[in-house]
Amino acid sequence: MRKAFPPEDLARDSRFARVDRMDQIADPRAASGQGGGRPNQRLTPDRADSADAARSLMHGIFVGEIQALEGAGRTCWDFETGTDGAPFALKLDMARQCWDEARHCEISVKLSEHMGTEIGEFGESAFLYQAACNPDPVLRLTGVNRALEGLAIDVFNTMKEFGSISADPVLEFCEDWMLADEVTHVKMGSDWLRKLTEDDPERRANALEFQRVVDKLFSFGGFRGEDDESPVILARRFRELAGFGTDEIDEIAAISAEARDEAKAHRASLAAQG
Amino acid sequence: MADIDVVPTEFRNVEFTADQIRGVVARLLVEAGLVDHPGIGSVRIEVDESTPLSKVVTQSLEPLVICAQSGALEDRRRTRHFGGDEAADALGRAVFAAADRLDPTFDGPAFDADVGVAHAVAWDCHVVGRMARLGHRPQRQRRLYSFELRHGFSDATVAAFDRLWSAERLTWAEIVAISDDARSVVGAA
Amino acid sequence: MADPHAPRPAFAPWDRRELPGSFTVEESARRAGNYKWIEMRLFEALGGWIATVPELDVKMRLGTHCYHHAWHAELWHKRLPELREMNPERLAVPPNEQMERFVEALTEPEAADLTIEKLVGVYRVLIPHKIAAYTYHLNNTSTITDAPTIRSLKFILHDEMDDWRDGEMILQSLIETPDDVRRAAERQVELETILVAAGGICGPGTLGGPTSDEQQPHQEVSA
Ligand SMILES: [Fe+2]
Ligand SMILES: [Fe+2]
Repeated sequence: MRKAFPPEDLARDSRFARVDRMDQIADPRAASGQGGGRPNQRLTPDRADSADAARSLMHGIFVGEIQALEGAGRTCWDFETGTDGAPFALKLDMARQCWDEARHCEISVKLSEHMGTEIGEFGESAFLYQAACNPDPVLRLTGVNRALEGLAIDVFNTMKEFGSISADPVLEFCEDWMLADEVTHVKMGSDWLRKLTEDDPERRANALEFQRVVDKLFSFGGFRGEDDESPVILARRFRELAGFGTDEIDEIAAISAEARDEAKAHRASLAAQG
Repeated sequence: MADIDVVPTEFRNVEFTADQIRGVVARLLVEAGLVDHPGIGSVRIEVDESTPLSKVVTQSLEPLVICAQSGALEDRRRTRHFGGDEAADALGRAVFAAADRLDPTFDGPAFDADVGVAHAVAWDCHVVGRMARLGHRPQRQRRLYSFELRHGFSDATVAAFDRLWSAERLTWAEIVAISDDARSVVGAA
Repeated sequence: MADPHAPRPAFAPWDRRELPGSFTVEESARRAGNYKWIEMRLFEALGGWIATVPELDVKMRLGTHCYHHAWHAELWHKRLPELREMNPERLAVPPNEQMERFVEALTEPEAADLTIEKLVGVYRVLIPHKIAAYTYHLNNTSTITDAPTIRSLKFILHDEMDDWRDGEMILQSLIETPDDVRRAAERQVELETILVAAGGICGPGTLGGPTSDEQQPHQEVSA
């Protein structure tokens, strides 16, 4: 088995279909016409399309959990213990995360059944796993455990609220449990970043820069933010529990707003050309 | 057989063909009993390919004009590609609802009346249950979830959904009554 | 109520624990080091394979089992200093080169259509050998002096038995044709041969008899 496993080789059964993120970005419908692209809108039960929007988001979470499981597993395998900066205790944390993510996959399958979503009903893009391919364990953990798992906190908190408002006991219960695990995973990332870069400010700066890049990518042009247009809300309280400082949360909010404004400007310029 | 016009005839933003859409609608018209209906005349399907959203609106009954945003006819697994199941589901709900409205015994709401979202979802469940028995992709649980979201999560809601799903023909008044009863049970709880 | 000041035997009549055991402190530490090494190799491999298996249920099981073996490695890691090995890395080694060869062969398959080969290595070769080695240790160590090892062994064996059953059932559900049967059997022969040459997961003496660095079997320490 190789030491680095590329996203395009992730093994799936025949139900799953891979979509290329670039195809989605290049979709001419995202920019042209009066309708414009998919609007950013808070996920609330009073939206006419809320059931299908929640199902689609839940399927995205499900494949995200599979990729998080695969990513944590690869961190167990890809790095020699100790010699190239992956301490024994870090690998134990990653193995623990494998178990948690495996449970999240199980929970997601059950939740999808509850919501009437078939496995593979929506396309899967592998770009979450891509962040788990960084060859430096510090950058990998910062990108995955602080940026992506941080996004998971925001998503689960949003879904939990959706379950609570719609009085869906299954959804609220599941999201609450997964949220607890994700806070633990983010904290792992924060702790390891601090520990492994204690005497190496340059490596810490690189890792935080990588986190910013991933955070921006995963703000999906305004997908996550603090305003009413954002489908997913930045979960400040849970991020604090996971070891984020207020300044760090403010920075993610700013990155998200920046991503949203850039996407708007991009759409406007394409519409003007088209 | 009524003529089926698809607009546009050629697509630029999505990989759809007018024939694919025509094929789906032709089958639906037969299944909904509208194929020789004197009122509907020609059928027109207008696709808005400028947006990936998935709203479907019936603009007129006689003639039958259905406007669909391109996302409604798209394969959920392949961006910009035509999805046969998705199109049959989205257009089928419009065609069967049109058939209900054109049936005097259904005694449906006025065409321009504002049907509340809970009633609309209940009607959808009744339509999709019938379509499922005609061989369309059932996705029963998907419809149940959508119904529960509007009527509450309870055993009574599931029972109400089953009545909508399995009935061969309900009147509008019966659909409204089932929906209202289900909501009142949860409201009382 | 009985007189609280009346003398009672230190070992109650139903407490049958005995002092004798087959292992010295050093021998226990050597085995714990071998255990830690193989548990680490196993959890790393299971983690790496998650991305390579297309079967969703297998993917999720591997994730769960990966943690079990990591936790076992942690238990041995913590036990080593208690056995006077202050540098746990020193003893976290394979017993011999054949054992290293075994792990290389075990972790070699990567392709998505080799799930049977991956699982046979773990659930029909390695885990049965681990269960055997752990059971031998459990049944032969001093129930009084080595109680902490026994406690770990019992937790670990509980996991190993559950995981072995999980893996075996998955394998039985994957093996459908005579060709699958042949693949599974050939893989088992291939790996079992190397593991037998290694003498088991602790090398010669894994299940008793002389160890690699001694000619004589262990003398039992008698009370
Ligand atoms: Fe997760
Ligand atoms: Fe996580």
